[in-house]
Amino acid sequence: MAGHDIFRLQDVTVHYGRRTALDGVTAQIPCGALVALVGPNGAGKSTLLRALLGWLPLTRGEIRLGDKHPRHLHPRLAYLPQRPEVDWDFPISVRDVVAQGRWPSLGLFGRFTAAEQERVDRALEELDLTALGGEQIRRLSGGQQQRMFLARAVAQGADIFLLDEPFASLDLAASAELVHLLQRWLAQGRTVIAAVHDLALARAHFSHALLLDTHLVAAGPAAETLSDANIDLAYRRRMPVLGARP
Amino acid sequence: MSALHDLFLAPFGYDFMQRGLLSAVLLSISGGLLGSVLVLRRLALMGDALTHSLLPGLALSWLLLGRGPLALLAGALVAGLLSVMASALLSRLTRLKEDAAFGAFFLVAYAAGIALVSQLGTRVDLLHFLFGHILGVGPADLALTAAASGLTLAAFVLAYRGIVLEVFDPIFARAAGMRGGWFYAGFLALAVLNLVAGLQTMGVVLALGLFLLPAASAYLWCDRFAWMLGMSALLGIIGSTAGLAVSFHTGLSSGPAIVLALGAIFLASAASSPRYGLLHALALARRERRAVRHTVD
Repeated sequence: MAGHDIFRLQDVTVHYGRRTALDGVTAQIPCGALVALVGPNGAGKSTLLRALLGWLPLTRGEIRLGDKHPRHLHPRLAYLPQRPEVDWDFPISVRDVVAQGRWPSLGLFGRFTAAEQERVDRALEELDLTALGGEQIRRLSGGQQQRMFLARAVAQGADIFLLDEPFASLDLAASAELVHLLQRWLAQGRTVIAAVHDLALARAHFSHALLLDTHLVAAGPAAETLSDANIDLAYRRRMPVLGARP
Repeated sequence: MSALHDLFLAPFGYDFMQRGLLSAVLLSISGGLLGSVLVLRRLALMGDALTHSLLPGLALSWLLLGRGPLALLAGALVAGLLSVMASALLSRLTRLKEDAAFGAFFLVAYAAGIALVSQLGTRVDLLHFLFGHILGVGPADLALTAAASGLTLAAFVLAYRGIVLEVFDPIFARAAGMRGGWFYAGFLALAVLNLVAGLQTMGVVLALGLFLLPAASAYLWCDRFAWMLGMSALLGIIGSTAGLAVSFHTGLSSGPAIVLALGAIFLASAASSPRYGLLHALALARRERRAVRHTVD
């Protein structure tokens, strides 16, 4: 079962041209955890997410889940970029977007049976979108749009969710809703790995954390990893004038 | 009744008009499909630039290989590919951004094309090349058009899910392992194929009108992708039939006549679409102004 899997990162190093984006990161990320990726801008949070997806050529090192390369993990892996680059005026309904989650398994020709429809219904229900299924996607609020993509990932059958700054564009109420949802998923044994800027939020609501500053500063249970001393280590270099914590 | 008959049915009693109509209907179907992708991916202006760049390829293959549809197709394909690759290289290797690179390149290609066509002398009428010549639709042209339309329709039926994902959310397509590098290559090939097929009826530059105008119109009416595809094709058929009738009665070249008819449909859509039209936006603005005045009072 998914809960026993562990993402093993061994000396993961990524370069963009000459710039080092990730430098020798060795860590283990347990599945069935709610993991916050924390670090200053440019610390490699988004890069790590994309590496976990198997999208980036690693200069050194490797990433495995069990004995599998990330590229062979879908449909278990779902990814939500910081700002999905979709056209909100696209002629498509909320339900049709969620139904796309079934396509990777069905391929181009697999029949969309009643059982498939039911999975879509359940995903809509889980994310509280049933009433909005027929709406064109522009009519949703920001939080609802995010839930629509999460519902698509649920319909896909994903149990590992890689989220890039999911709290960045949410208001307080939507943030609270998302925290609630992520904790429910944690209780269900799902895995969430999310880039997070809000330290207080990461400390309070995430089970684990990875603190990055291109290299790995600390990793482990969230409260210990995000200690004041560690945060100083990760952020100080970026604020030479202030020399203070964010 | 008989006036309508004279206006819209009588013209299509002639063989050449029937061939023209059949060609336009076939192109409307594939054009509606491809045009919808162009509109949704914001490639409309790129498509416009591409049509202009086909001209030198068409003219050269005419000079060297004769005017068979296959020769023209080969010339256009080579010209299209070269232009796209050259402008992509320019924008990647120099300081120029993509739009400037494409714009500059396609202008030069178009000018070179016109120069070449005029060198063809009396054998070709530049106007026919640019704006279409319905009398020139022969059986071979019709066969090419049928092939272009059929291939496009088949591609959309077979790869529908891949196309939707690629147009709507390529990042999801990639994460889900449904990413197709085939998409843009296939799309470009189908676009060029259909543009060349539309050459006789529409002319090289205006052929894009059969892609773009029905799709832009349908976009204003539809909130579902599949409906938009169907409606684009339908509007294309209506517009090109009307345009051909106008062309028959007035002697206007078939390309401009069809584009003008499609343009009328487009303007009517932009004005009156119940959710996304101009009149709706104006009514909304007026209601808001009134609401503001009420609260101020």
